[in-house]
Amino acid sequence: MHNTEELTDRPQSEQVVAPVHHAHHRLGRSAVVVGALSLLLLVALGRLFDADQWLTHPGFRAWQTICVAIAVQALPFLLLGTVISGAVNAFVPAHAFSRILPRNPALAVPVASAAGVVLPGCECASVPVAGSLIRRGVTPAAAFAFLLSAPAVNPIVLASTAVAFPGSPEMVAARLTASLATSAAMGWMWLKLGRSDWLRMPPRHTGHKDGHSRWEEFRLGFQHDFLHAGGFLVLGAMAAATFNVTVPRSVLETFSGSAWLSVLFLAGLAVVLAVCSEADAFVAASLTGFSPTARLAFMVVGPMVDLKLIALQAGTFGRAFAVRFSTATAVTAVVCSALTGWWLL
Amino acid sequence: MKRTVQAALLLLTGAGVLRVSLFSDICLRYVKEGLQPFLIVSGVALVGLGLIGAVRDGLPCAERRRSGDAHRSEAAYAHEGHEGHGHDHSHGPRIAWLLLLPTLALLFFAPPALGSYTAARDNAKVVEDYSRFEPLPSRGPAPLSLTEFIARAQQDDRQSLMGRSVLLAGFVTPGKGGAWDLTRLLVACCAADSQSLTVTMHGVKAPPADTWVKVTGTWHPEGTLGTASAAIALDVTSLQRIPPPPSPYLDRVPVSNSVSPEAG
Repeated sequence: MHNTEELTDRPQSEQVVAPVHHAHHRLGRSAVVVGALSLLLLVALGRLFDADQWLTHPGFRAWQTICVAIAVQALPFLLLGTVISGAVNAFVPAHAFSRILPRNPALAVPVASAAGVVLPGCECASVPVAGSLIRRGVTPAAAFAFLLSAPAVNPIVLASTAVAFPGSPEMVAARLTASLATSAAMGWMWLKLGRSDWLRMPPRHTGHKDGHSRWEEFRLGFQHDFLHAGGFLVLGAMAAATFNVTVPRSVLETFSGSAWLSVLFLAGLAVVLAVCSEADAFVAASLTGFSPTARLAFMVVGPMVDLKLIALQAGTFGRAFAVRFSTATAVTAVVCSALTGWWLL
Repeated sequence: MKRTVQAALLLLTGAGVLRVSLFSDICLRYVKEGLQPFLIVSGVALVGLGLIGAVRDGLPCAERRRSGDAHRSEAAYAHEGHEGHGHDHSHGPRIAWLLLLPTLALLFFAPPALGSYTAARDNAKVVEDYSRFEPLPSRGPAPLSLTEFIARAQQDDRQSLMGRSVLLAGFVTPGKGGAWDLTRLLVACCAADSQSLTVTMHGVKAPPADTWVKVTGTWHPEGTLGTASAAIALDVTSLQRIPPPPSPYLDRVPVSNSVSPEAG
């Protein structure tokens, strides 16, 4: 169809805008339909059983608490991310980033991975920022490398990993190595295999336009980004809370015996639990029955692929992208953690 | 979603965040203490941006019509798609309606802190290795955090708990067959990553689940004290209900109340 160049440079053209808008609206509409249906289902179930008992069931209360907790916890980071992305869109000149990054995309990828160090915070901030980088002409491969590495290799996360695993600095080194390797590998993989028609970015704020106030552009861009990403965050939080409450921790023990299964199992657990990247080291430290490599996989996969992140990516880059990209990232992250664990741990 | 609705939603979200972070400590049921200042900043920013939006675009029932300036009215903005701007902000994302759920929850029925339901299912927190233990106070029941009680029971080779009366606090998690545990949940970042600390109680009937209690008692002799075989359990001599603490996920040392007569 059309490539990303067109998306960023000629967003005005009708044929680019139309299909994207359709996808966008369809997504919004299906979300509303799903929401209305589940509300109806809830009411019906409430009628069928004893509503009071059901609504105050401790499991449902715990679900509400965890759902609200994930949303509240992520909110400051999401706000930071959308403010940065709004500012990048309104104030940074169009090709500023392309001038800083190496011209050759294959070189730009590792540079972007390493640049992830500068964005302190958890994964919710990095999705809108990566989206704004692409709109500002950064090659998508480099933006994705940044998206994956930023939540995993920033100083706050590395420090909390060191605190959670006292006396084993090799765990911090392994996390840094495996995360950088995964993000660079994914960037290069996008260069080789990625197709820009998977990317369906709502062609919003395309940078400063003459005759518009930059501040007004910033405000509207931020407002749109924040509300959009916030809605997807709530969707992801609800999914993660469901798993968090329903997955009994006793299943953990059944998998800890086998080396390979335990790596895959903890990687899967990282996806469904959606623990923030600043806290996942503490959770990994408590999974004492598992091998260090399996725990490393938990910490490498978690900040790159989890339910709330998939929801956020689907909102920012489109569903077709989020599904393919998250699957590939999960596989790459497991392979990189296994190799790094075998080498360092 | 109209732009007026967007401004209203920003205002509501900001108000919800401020209600649980600035005007109360409710947010401590969901996140660690260190995040509270960031929540206040976020709430203020959201309310501020919502207000600017309300002034510029109006609110749902009081839309503002702008005329004369460079901006165009809502309708003109919507039709602008094929020239100039290339997109319209007037129809915001519908998925944003989902933000209303946690916002209304924060404003009107903030869910309670996690309790016994979660504690019974969580994985136990690993108690760190203590390098040394301070001597216990010479008189009265020694107030201990659950962490320190567990550490002393399983790590202290000088067996400082032997025959000592201690004071612990936590909430009640019912076990099987009338047994019960004194528990606390600890979080590293938010309630989704909670881990539990558990001490089994012997000698008194279980209070209702989730009640916060203060108990005094002595170590329940089972296994060898000071080794990993030591039971993490207490023979309870007295029990007192206490109000839930404002920071439910911190393992604080309980405050010992006025020295009871038999304590000296």
